[in-house]
Amino acid sequence: MVLGFTAAAIAMLIAIIPAGITLCRGDLATAVVAYEFITAVIVMVLALLAQAFQRSGLFELPVILAVLMFGGGLVFVRTMERWL
Amino acid sequence: MIVKDVFSDVLLGLAVLIVAGASLGVLLMRDSYQKLHYVTPAALVAPLLVALAVLVQMGWYQNTGETFLALFFMAIAGPYLSHATMRAIRVRETGDWRPGRGHDSPAREKEQ
Repeated sequence: MVLGFTAAAIAMLIAIIPAGITLCRGDLATAVVAYEFITAVIVMVLALLAQAFQRSGLFELPVILAVLMFGGGLVFVRTMERWL
Repeated sequence: MIVKDVFSDVLLGLAVLIVAGASLGVLLMRDSYQKLHYVTPAALVAPLLVALAVLVQMGWYQNTGETFLALFFMAIAGPYLSHATMRAIRVRETGDWRPGRGHDSPAREKEQ
């Protein structure tokens, strides 16, 4: 286990707490912005944890989440624009 | 070996600082437009630093390639997503994203 990468992953998870507060307490548009922010950080956390545990297979998760972030984000945004 | 560790730790520290600062920006800014500006550092700059840290630690290896692939997808998706989000917020607020066509246009205000 690589200590620096584990520490960075934990620090990033702590650092998204303010964005989580925004997600919970803001209006719909603000919550979507916070959701996009948190998703981008989680992609990094997955890459950091994969490197920390030295598992090559786990590196596929951030790649998949980065692709899904685009599609999922657009679906959320389009839904907000048209129906919510 | 030690130089590699120190260099990757410095890159990771910078990435964490950027994410923490951007997260505070998302919390403290007034409206959604301003908050959206703080997504980009966390979605583009910090992943680049993380990918560089993996590169320094591992060299050119499969893990490094996959990290840069994730960074590539985020770099492609980020601007489109930001634009779509900003457009959706404006449509919600004014009814149309084009200037002068929504609720806030001068012609509509004159009619009311």
